[in-house]
Amino acid sequence: MTEEKTIESNQLDHSLRYEISEKVGAKSLLKCIQCGVCSSGCTVSEYIDLQPHRVVASLLLGLKDIILESNAIWTCSLCHRCTERCPKGVDYSFILALLRNIASKEGKIPIEYSSTVETISENGFVVPYTGRMKNTINRRREKMGLPEVSSPDLDEINYILKETGLGNLMKKSKEDED
Amino acid sequence: MKIKMKFALFLGCTIPLKYPHLESAFREVSRIMDIELEEMKGASCCPEPVSLQSINVDAWMTLGARNLAIAEKMGMDVLTICSGCYETLKTVKVLLGRDKKQFNKVNSILKNIGYEYKGTSNVFHFVELFSRKEMLSQLEEKVVKPLDDLNIAAHYGCHLIRPSEIMEFDDPERPETMDSILNVLGARTVAFASKLECCGYCARLNEDIGYDLVKQKVVELVDLQSPVDAMVAVCPACVSQYDRKERILSRKLDKNLDIPILYLPELMAIALGVSTEKLDLNKRSVKPTKLIAKLKI
Ligand code: SF4
Ligand code: SF4
Repeated sequence: MTEEKTIESNQLDHSLRYEISEKVGAKSLLKCIQCGVCSSGCTVSEYIDLQPHRVVASLLLGLKDIILESNAIWTCSLCHRCTERCPKGVDYSFILALLRNIASKEGKIPIEYSSTVETISENGFVVPYTGRMKNTINRRREKMGLPEVSSPDLDEINYILKETGLGNLMKKSKEDED
Repeated sequence: MKIKMKFALFLGCTIPLKYPHLESAFREVSRIMDIELEEMKGASCCPEPVSLQSINVDAWMTLGARNLAIAEKMGMDVLTICSGCYETLKTVKVLLGRDKKQFNKVNSILKNIGYEYKGTSNVFHFVELFSRKEMLSQLEEKVVKPLDDLNIAAHYGCHLIRPSEIMEFDDPERPETMDSILNVLGARTVAFASKLECCGYCARLNEDIGYDLVKQKVVELVDLQSPVDAMVAVCPACVSQYDRKERILSRKLDKNLDIPILYLPELMAIALGVSTEKLDLNKRSVKPTKLIAKLKI
């Protein structure tokens, strides 16, 4: 049995739908007709507590907390079937990414995701590629007759992370280490 | 007609740093097919479509645009060898082309580190390239070791074909490109129900999802009437996902799941006559022993 909960209209976030639909790629959000096609083909539907079409409905209503607390926003295999099949062109898989962006801004980032960004910040790649690792990898490549992999300029990478607002995330994880 | 092609090669991270034998296979195929590849000096992670896009779409797009700007400076189109890289770079290109505001935002950051993103280079996955009509006939001419006796299951994965509104490359519900390449090499490709299912690699928070998806596909293939000799994928994430989880599932289910998973360029290289010493076919947990015996290579 699901518990009933009353939410007053002044607790709704009426700007949420515009915040999302203004972003490139998510403009079609407002066209949803609640047909449920996205949910019926979703790869992870058995594992989530809020089905895709319900997430969209909640989003349109402004039920921000319900969405951010649901496991649906981070439980996604990125198969893009929802987006592919939506009859109204709603790019649900991308909208989900934007919802994860909102959760991230509030500091709710699963470690599996933040650690990858740290690896990119420190190596330019999602695989460690500095110091001893770099030598080992290149020795192996050389034996196979493959050219050395050039590292990107990490200052450039970190400048981009900082300017797009990820500077804090990097700083925070450094502090956690210390 | 013979076409001479030259591309900026976008390697990404996973293949060059973790699975260089897959890169070797691809480079061998390109050499034989007369495709010239130029290294992209200074390129970073694409960045991968799971974590960075999830945390901050602006960072994801700006890093992607930086990589594209490198290719633009080289005056070349980009060739990717991983579906994740393909998805990121192509999506970034399409979205930036549709949104002037975002385009300007990205460039205002890139400007300060000496880059400019214009949108002049196209992005390709090698499947897109090799499945072109003229390339298929060139391939056919160059086959020296036809894969006549092989039954292959093609795994397209998700990012190559969906969302089609952005990728615009194959029929998203009935793709044929990989099959067409395999058929030209002489192999039979099988029809199976879970052909278009996801490998689950990107569902990072819940490993059960990956196990369930791998099980569904591999068990179906093992139980098919005409057994397949291998499953073939075009993305390192799919390759490693099936290879690793299939072994573990074999033990868990007490069922012999022994379908090797190969990267398409590996099979192409075999058909084009590349020696197995150069290919490291046994560098995986489910070894393609039967396939090697069948092909007598
Ligand atoms: S498929 Fe599209 S229109 Fe239908 S419920 Fe999902 S988002 Fe809405
Ligand atoms: S992209 Fe995510 S939400 Fe959409 S169908 Fe696939 S698993 Fe479900």
